[in-house]
Amino acid sequence: MAVKRIAAETLIELAVDTLRAEIYPTLPPEHRYTAAMIANALEIARREILADDDTARWRLLDELYPDGDGDMKRLALDIRSGKVNTNNKPDLHERLRAILVEELRVRNPRFLKSRESPGEVTD
Amino acid sequence: MQVVRSRTLDPDNLGSLAGWLAGAVGARRVTFAEATLLTGGAVQENWRLVVDVEGGPREGRHAWVLRTDAVARLSLSLDRTAEFGVLKAAHAAGIAVAEPIARCSDPEIIGAPFLVQAFVPGVTQARRIVRDPALKDYGESLAERLGAELAKIHSITPPRDDLNFLPIPMLPPARNEVAKLRNALSSAAEPRPALEYVLAWLDAHAPDPEPITLVHGDYRTGNYIVNEGKLGAVLDWEFAHWGDRHEDIGWIMARCWRFGNDTLEAGGIGSREAFYRGYRSVAKLPLNEAVVPYWEIMAAARWATVAVLQGDRYRKGGENSIELALTGLMPPEMELDALDGIAALAASGDPRWR
Repeated sequence: MAVKRIAAETLIELAVDTLRAEIYPTLPPEHRYTAAMIANALEIARREILADDDTARWRLLDELYPDGDGDMKRLALDIRSGKVNTNNKPDLHERLRAILVEELRVRNPRFLKSRESPGEVTD
Repeated sequence: MQVVRSRTLDPDNLGSLAGWLAGAVGARRVTFAEATLLTGGAVQENWRLVVDVEGGPREGRHAWVLRTDAVARLSLSLDRTAEFGVLKAAHAAGIAVAEPIARCSDPEIIGAPFLVQAFVPGVTQARRIVRDPALKDYGESLAERLGAELAKIHSITPPRDDLNFLPIPMLPPARNEVAKLRNALSSAAEPRPALEYVLAWLDAHAPDPEPITLVHGDYRTGNYIVNEGKLGAVLDWEFAHWGDRHEDIGWIMARCWRFGNDTLEAGGIGSREAFYRGYRSVAKLPLNEAVVPYWEIMAAARWATVAVLQGDRYRKGGENSIELALTGLMPPEMELDALDGIAALAASGDPRWR
């Protein structure tokens, strides 16, 4: 018989399911928003554990900064100063969008889906 | 770890507030029958007070709201005493606001500066409003009324001695807004390259300067009271400033403030056309529809910046609130909307957006 490993992401999933199924319905209305925020925070943490690496982010940083010293702070400063722009990096817009999509897969996949399928209701 | 953020007002210790209020409204004595913390207000606290006033011009029982700063205030917002000055000007201009009653700049009275206004009944929570089944009956008329009310706000123009604490922008309004956002982001803990890209685009594509008017600065669903389908009062004036009137229009139209009701472009409650109709029925200055999409991108950038700053309140250790931490994770949502807005304008063929 296969034995299931009780991994961190599994524990979080169980915690969210239990919170939603057993605790949430018993809460007075004034505590439900907080409970929903707790479930949301736990789900973000679970997706972060399961997420692939930040491919889009590191690919862009490696291209812009072959010295290996690139990070998001340096990129933000270089965009503000005009050092990095769409003249010297014509696909900058698309590459930054790809980074956002990567972040949203962890932080809010429902939002991402609504932008791919307009009209879908998000919170 | 402290989960619930600390409160400034202690409802069990209202003696000094009572004494101060009595003086402020010219009463012999003020007592409290009730003090309840209202929901909402991640930046400030809102308390509903039921007050018994003895003597003076306001003798009798009243329901008032006390608004105070939270532990940390955003650098983009006015303090309570400045907000009170804007409220007085709006009230005098006949704009639907809760009557401003008193302001206190002495932090010793309750622990922070605060203002007191009349309590206006109704609903403010955006999600309750946009999901109200009756919205289909009153949404269009509410959108039209909100447009008209905003035009009244924009009828207030400088110079005004009573609003001389609001700085006149030294740059064209759009570029001035970009400068303010960049300044606010300079000390942020989390770098946001996409947001910097959006700000660079906004700076490079700033529309021609328009006459300066009062700008509410946070005119959206969630910041007004709806009572039985009608506008009760416009709230949350802490971001008021002199600027381009289209900034407010872009803010309420921005997708991030439709709360999922994406097809109802005016704040998730009504059509863009109804809002514009109401605005034009009152406005002294023309509404330039062509620049509103630009200001919707500005709105996304501004909300992303505010979310970064809210996250900083958690990241930098001031307030351990789950709500602030989750808000701090939201910037990519608004940044994505802004990038897609830029792409849509670039594809529109209008040379000004190239």
